[in-house]
Amino acid sequence: MITSLSRDTPVIVQGITGRMGRTHATLMRAYGTNIVGGTSSRTDTKEAAGVPVFANCRAAVLATGAVVSVAMAPPLETLGAVEEALAAGIRLIVTVAEGIPLHDAMRIGRAVRRAGATWIGGSTPGLAIPGEIKLGFLPDVCLRPGPFGIMSKSGTLSYECGYRLVQAGLGQSIWVGVGGDQVKGVRFADLLPVFFSDPRTHAIILVGEVGGNEEEECAALLRRLSGRKPVYALIAGREAKEGVSMGHAGALVLGEAGSLASKTQCLTAAGARVFGSIESLIETCVRDLT
Amino acid sequence: MLLIETDGKALLAEHGVAVPRAMAATDPTIGDIRDKAQGVSLPGDGPWMVKAQVPVGGRGKAGGVVRCDTPQEASAAVRRLLGQRLKGHRVDVCLIEQSVTGVERYLAVMVDPASYGLRVIYGAQGGVDVEQSAITQSRLSPPHPAGVAETLAELIAIEPEHWRSHIMATGRRLADLVLQRELALAEINPLFVSDDGCVAGDAKLVVDLSAVERQPRIAALLEARSQTYVDANRKLAEGFDYVEIDPDGEIGLVTTGAGLSMMLIDELAARGLKPLNFCDIRTGQMRGSPARVMRVLEWITARPSLRAVLVSVFAGITDLGEFGTLLATGVDQTPALRVPVVARLVGRGATEAQRILADRHPGMLVTEDLEEALSSVAAIAGKSRA
Repeated sequence: MITSLSRDTPVIVQGITGRMGRTHATLMRAYGTNIVGGTSSRTDTKEAAGVPVFANCRAAVLATGAVVSVAMAPPLETLGAVEEALAAGIRLIVTVAEGIPLHDAMRIGRAVRRAGATWIGGSTPGLAIPGEIKLGFLPDVCLRPGPFGIMSKSGTLSYECGYRLVQAGLGQSIWVGVGGDQVKGVRFADLLPVFFSDPRTHAIILVGEVGGNEEEECAALLRRLSGRKPVYALIAGREAKEGVSMGHAGALVLGEAGSLASKTQCLTAAGARVFGSIESLIETCVRDLT
Repeated sequence: MLLIETDGKALLAEHGVAVPRAMAATDPTIGDIRDKAQGVSLPGDGPWMVKAQVPVGGRGKAGGVVRCDTPQEASAAVRRLLGQRLKGHRVDVCLIEQSVTGVERYLAVMVDPASYGLRVIYGAQGGVDVEQSAITQSRLSPPHPAGVAETLAELIAIEPEHWRSHIMATGRRLADLVLQRELALAEINPLFVSDDGCVAGDAKLVVDLSAVERQPRIAALLEARSQTYVDANRKLAEGFDYVEIDPDGEIGLVTTGAGLSMMLIDELAARGLKPLNFCDIRTGQMRGSPARVMRVLEWITARPSLRAVLVSVFAGITDLGEFGTLLATGVDQTPALRVPVVARLVGRGATEAQRILADRHPGMLVTEDLEEALSSVAAIAGKSRA
């Protein structure tokens, strides 16, 4: 689903009359995303960000044929928003909310899996195929078509990497913010085969952080997959305090589990190159691909 | 976020899991109370375990758990542990527990992110080395108590029959606890098993701060310990993240974005500097008020070791012109701020922010280049140290 996204993919924004919804619908349209409508519980608004507003996803999908939704719902309302979107036939949903309760995220994950759909988030700036489509709010200054597939738990740290690639004249094929939550939609390991089979992607940048085991899981898959592309990884949180979540709910180190050492070791053993600073990562990426 | 053991055990007990007889000690003068005749009685007969209450694993190996045969030893241990720093956390509470006997086992129920279900883990041995070893077995389970019970039944098939019902009952209660209180993890290690039943020797419970709003019991536990859960309470009260990394830190951070802030801490440490805090200030929620900038500046200037402040905002959406004004005002309104500020501002409105800050705070270095900002922070800290 991710690789087939393009400037023609019809997209709706759930919660389009809110402050965030309106702003980001406008910015996504300006980038070239085919926003065809939005939903809102406000019955007095027929249009927002230059597109029609519907009472619910079912009406929006029926009228527009949308297959993708960007849900701009508050964290405690995200579960409901996803259920509504899935029932209307949405195939890919991006949830940007930070702080979706863990057990809600489990319910979302199960519902998405039952529907055979794709979920990106939460706590994510979204995804983009530069030059084609942007779902969410990755900053335009960081986006440029190019050879790197980016997958990142962090928004801001990936902005920094994307920005420096653009400054060096490079860019990205597909950029997916998997988000900083512990329970989420698409994970690093899900994206590895996507990037490996995508002809636009020549190398992969993995922006990880301490906590969870996604980096380890991705490393295990990397060892098994044939048809290699270089993987460059940056892992934040070397100095993180044990037992305390560092901003992202998923960034929690308990004993050895989720530690930087574990992630670095697994990724390195699988053939990825792991960097300790943004500058060293970008320098190597630029040197290898120019 | 990890609860301290005594709070974890309170939740276990409320959900029907047996815990040892215990008392919490927050006052080192408990050391003056030598025996029952003088007032406070220790829970049950000895021996006792005195355990430092900090939210980290591996307390035993770090010297935070002491076995005591007499009340005198117990009070001496409390006196020694309170106020100590253990694995980066200050000990504000000690738990004094009656020692329990039984065979040691390991039992945990946790959220499994990849399967959107639960993972049940059982070890036929418990104890301090269990987490690093391969002697535990785990199985995935659907997220309901009956599913957990079924899964656990497979894992404990090797146990003597008369113990199985005790372990099953504990597992079912643990699953209830995880699901009802929306926990990420509930681990009991060791779980003491005997013919009389199961007793939780320790409790490692990880709560979900995103669900606190609808979990009044968890909210009450956090509220009751303003010091122990200082970071969590701050997040809930202020709506953004601030974690003090090192009370003797030199570099205060006013930053946005969790990942980049974590990375900046790593980058500063790699340059031999001591970062004071982690911060994700969320500029998008400031809504034209300098209040958040002022709060963070207030916290970091409270530390006398502060030598420089690094501001870093990568603005995708935020208008940096507006943020520049808020930063200038925040600095104006914080008289306690007497160290240089380096601001790395990049993205929408960066030029406007530079103009505003150059006008209002000509001494402040404002740059779009992160490496330049880091070098100049290092230079300032180096100079003020010399």
